[in-house]
This record gives sequence, C-alpha cells and structure tokens, in this order.
Amino acid sequence: MLTLYHWEPNANSGKPMLALAEKGVPYQSHYLDLLKFDQHSPEYLAINPDGTIPALVHGDLVLTESTPMMEYIDEAFQGPALRPDSALGRWRMRWWMRYFDAYFAPSLSMIGWSVFVGPAVRQRDPAELRAAIERIPLESRRIAWRKAMFNEFTPDELEESRRRVVFSIGVLETHLREHRWIAGERYSLGDINGFNLGYALPLSQPERCNDRDTPHIMEWLRSIYERPAARETWAKARTHMGERVKMLERR
Amino acid sequence: MVELYHWEPNGSFLKPLVALYEKRTPFTSRWFDPIAGEQLARGFPADTESSLQLEREGPILVHDGAVISSSFFLLEYINDAVPGANLCPGGAYQHYRARAWGQVLTGVSAGVSVLGCAKYLAPRLQALEPGTFQKRFGTLEPLERRQAWAAFANGSWSEEALAAVRERLKPPVRRIEAALARDPWLAGAEYSIADIDAFSTLNPLAPLAPDVINRGETPRVLEFLERMRAREAVRAALELSRSGKPLEAFLPGAEASRWG
Repeated sequence: MLTLYHWEPNANSGKPMLALAEKGVPYQSHYLDLLKFDQHSPEYLAINPDGTIPALVHGDLVLTESTPMMEYIDEAFQGPALRPDSALGRWRMRWWMRYFDAYFAPSLSMIGWSVFVGPAVRQRDPAELRAAIERIPLESRRIAWRKAMFNEFTPDELEESRRRVVFSIGVLETHLREHRWIAGERYSLGDINGFNLGYALPLSQPERCNDRDTPHIMEWLRSIYERPAARETWAKARTHMGERVKMLERR
Repeated sequence: MVELYHWEPNGSFLKPLVALYEKRTPFTSRWFDPIAGEQLARGFPADTESSLQLEREGPILVHDGAVISSSFFLLEYINDAVPGANLCPGGAYQHYRARAWGQVLTGVSAGVSVLGCAKYLAPRLQALEPGTFQKRFGTLEPLERRQAWAAFANGSWSEEALAAVRERLKPPVRRIEAALARDPWLAGAEYSIADIDAFSTLNPLAPLAPDVINRGETPRVLEFLERMRAREAVRAALELSRSGKPLEAFLPGAEASRWG
C-alpha cells in the first residue's frame, strides 16, 4: 500500500508525484489544501509530526523529506531508472538538487509567498491566522507563515531573493547550454526537481526567462512538459496553479 | 587517483577524510590554508559547482580529473566510486534515512559554523594586518561567500544572536538523541555516511554549546561521539591536524535559512 499526501503538483509536492508517474507506480493520492492549513491538522500531524508536505507512506514506513523521497521511489520500485548509471552523474544530480532546494527555491518561493500565498490567506480573521500559526510544529515554518500572512517580508530580503533568482536563472541557463539534462546526458530526478521549481519561471520572471534570453531553459522545460508523466501529473492539479504549466505548449 | 584538498580535520573537511580512511583506499592529502586564501589561488581545482560554494568553504575531491564538492555528496560519491567497505548499507529505506539526516545536518552545520567562527575565526581575521582581509577576500564570488567572511571579519555577531543560534540547534540535536534511543546508528542498525556526517558536525558543537549537548539532556549523543572517536578511521583522520587543535578550526558555512 502506497499513499502520497500532497498539495498541488508544484514545488516539494510535485517532486514525488512526478517521480511516481515516471516510474509508473500507482498510489493512493491524499490531497491536502496548503491554504486551508490541512497540513497542520491533528490527522495529518499523526502521520508527519513536522506538518510539512509531502509525506509518503509505504506500508509501515513514513518518508517526509521530498528530495531523498524521490531517491527512495527510484530505488524501491520497478520502472525506468531515474538516476544516472555513473557515480559522477549521481553526484552531479545530487549537487544540483541541493542547489535547487537550498539556494534557488527558498528565494523563488519567498517571492511567490509574498505575492500569492500571503494575499490568498490574509483576508481571513487575524485571530484565526494567529491560531493557525500556533499549530505549526516547526519554528522555521512558523516564521515563513507569519511573514506571508502578515506581510512581514522586509524590502531588503525580497530584493536579495530577487537578486538570487536572477543569478540562478543565469547559472541554470549556462549549465543547460553545456548539458542536455541536469545530470548530463540522461533525464533524472535532477530534472524532476528542477521542473517543479522552475516550470512557471517564464510566467513569473518573463523578462529574465524567455526564448530570447534563456533558450536552453525554455527547451528543457518544454521537453519535460511534453513527457507523458508530466502531463499526467499536472492533470491532477485542482487549482489554477496547474494552468501555469500550459504556457510551455509549443506554438 | 584520489586527491583530497582539505584543511584541519573538523566539520566539512573531516567528513571525506573519515570516509576515505573507512574505505582503506590510498589517497593523496592536499592540505590548504583557507584563511590565507589558498583555495582562491590560480591552479586550485575548481569547476562550476565548486565555485558556487553552497557550503561557502569546504573540501574538494579530485578523482580521475573530476572535481567533486559539497561535503555530504562527497560522502555519497566516495561510497559510490571508491572501493572498500559499504558506507551506506541496507535497503532503500536505510538509504533514505541517511540522506534525510544529511539534510537535517546541513542545517545544524550552519549553526555550528556561526558559533565556531564567532569564537575562533573572527579574532584571527580581526588580527590580520590592515588591508589584508580586503586583499584576500574583498572580491570573492559568489557574493554570499564574501559576505559570510566579512560578517566575521567585522565582528558583527552579538551575544544575543549567538544565544538564538544555540536555541535553534536544540530541536535537531534532540531529534538525533531520540533516533539514537531507537537504533545504534542514525540510519538504523548499521554504521553509515549519516554517522560520519553527524560526528563531523556535532563533535565541534559539544564544547561550543554545553547547553545544547550535555550529559543530562543528550547522553546518547555524547556516547555516540565517544563511540565514533574510538573508530580507527576517525582517529586516523583527526591525527592529520597540523595545529593540534582541530576543534578550533572553523570557516563560514552554509546559510541556515533564507527566510530568517
């Protein structure tokens, strides 16, 4: 029995969703609405006490870290290999996944939370929001939600996030100019990770990520979007967020 | 041919040393002095990934011409590519656990680095001749790496900020304490790269933050550190210290959190 607790096919939730689709592994999908704080409900905290999304339950095993979770999916299930054959290729894949997770994603998501997540929840009763924050187990997530809910991002940290996003787009374009895929010659978990981070970049950063300035990123994103597993995964979107991927259709 | 570019056996530099000694595979030790800026000299091995420096400063492995960086993934690479004992045994779930600890410990190492640098690196940088710091690190790229060094050269860490860092280290260290109550090693029944990662990160923390690691609250962490110190590979790695004080060797490390 395999159950995935997830939100939209986006960021951390989308990583195991796309990895499972690529492997052709069926799973029971349990959708959690991030904006309704389903992930902090007692029912979910009984599964993942950290209250983070996603969580994969495989028999008695519970996995809650999305990037190592993808390696688990590749290792534990039959299907096409999603990691390179060589040690050097696997190292490169892991290095880039860390770059996405630790450097690119936190800055990109800060911008996203400031313009999307915060406004989406801010009209609710402040007392209700404060109570919701109190239920969040991890301090780092309490800080993130407090900043988003009450618009406490400072101009300096938003500016620094914008700088890092622009810098990272340049780094990624250079890398993809030299490598067909993130880990080299073959599609891997590195691409699944990167796609979940960056599929909406042409929409959110149109002046930086476009056919003229970043042709290699655009071709990489379109090539992943055209994979049947990506189509299947983004078809599971329940909100308008999933619509964003359609701008990757070739005209 | 395996060459390891490293500094004192502490923190990120200790990890690949222990792994290579566990493998019992010959390697060439290439010592460098990062405070003197030797890692910035022409001819020092570098590629795109190493130059982006997610850990700010760290070891570099050169294997058959390939430049391998980032200390946890260096452990995975050594286990994958170098013959010898399997340092990530078990099945898919044990491997997942080792990697998940790698993520947790990266956050811990960020805090340990701040505490260690504030105590040991900052005075060394502030004692440099005027202009020396700027000459060595003033144009360092990427920008965050330069800023991390400058924070300690300028002595901009208050006691209050350091207390907050220690407080943030308590939850993950208690998580490690709880894991060691369930299993002898972090990934389960067998020794793995997660233990090398944890020892390298927590060994310097114990003397820096007795309010975080102590007999009363984290007895299993202390027992784990003693068990690790008794391993032949760990002893061999620590003996490479040139200063005789590896627990005082700190450099700017990974960012704790982009979100504050």
